[in-house]
Amino acid sequence: MLFPSRYSLERWSYTLQRITGVVVTLYFVLHVIETGNFVGGPSVWYVPPYDYARAYYEEIREFLHNPVFDVGLVIIGWMVAFHAVNGLRLTLAHFGITLGRPSRVEPEAPPRSFSPFQRAIFWISIALAVFAVVYSLNALMGVLAA
Amino acid sequence: MSERRLMLLHYVTGIGILITGAVHLWVVFFTVPLDQTIWETTMLFDNHPFAILSVYRNALLASTLWLLLVFTTYHAMNGIRVILMELIPNRSFVSAIKWVLIALGLFLVVYGTRTILIAYNIR
Repeated sequence: MLFPSRYSLERWSYTLQRITGVVVTLYFVLHVIETGNFVGGPSVWYVPPYDYARAYYEEIREFLHNPVFDVGLVIIGWMVAFHAVNGLRLTLAHFGITLGRPSRVEPEAPPRSFSPFQRAIFWISIALAVFAVVYSLNALMGVLAA
Repeated sequence: MSERRLMLLHYVTGIGILITGAVHLWVVFFTVPLDQTIWETTMLFDNHPFAILSVYRNALLASTLWLLLVFTTYHAMNGIRVILMELIPNRSFVSAIKWVLIALGLFLVVYGTRTILIAYNIR
């Protein structure tokens, strides 16, 4: 059902939206837990001394600052950019904007719900996702600066 | 709450994430000069205009982070619920997964709020 190869571009957008949503959700859960280290870890439920929080965070920062996590974040950047813009397209479609006029469904014809404007937003989401990869590669690993 | 309202809230929180997430990404990534990385600037603990503590000590940015936390938690948990409902359309499974996702969502909001409040007060 999820694999879109036999279907139209709209089904690719459907599948990609779900895959990116699940992966970004997993990242979000880990990110909330990981950012808990800014204040000294999960056991801290009071305001800790500045030096304790700083030392704890520096250790975690050393652990996170490596190419594996950097590449992981670049992939997340790609997914977030695609999910955001394609999600905007879905929001417009939900409220009936950009859908075009209703018409009879013809066999083998492309779905009318995926209007040229909708199609354009889909490709913009892909383009922005590529931009996110280039920008985050530089922001994380200094690729352009190198 | 009806499915219609749950999905309406899904789209509303999606728009909220676009706004608050843009602020978050701007702070972490787009304030970094092109010849530097986030590890040398925004991922520092302190002593930089957009270092971690500088962001959390700013009430406006910290509030934006909290809104992003709440919006994303709802959007993510409801999104997972919708995907699972489509894959396994079984009434008791859907009911069980709903409570698991509510529990996970509450944990994320409580733990994230703790981090924001404590970081705001570290001096």
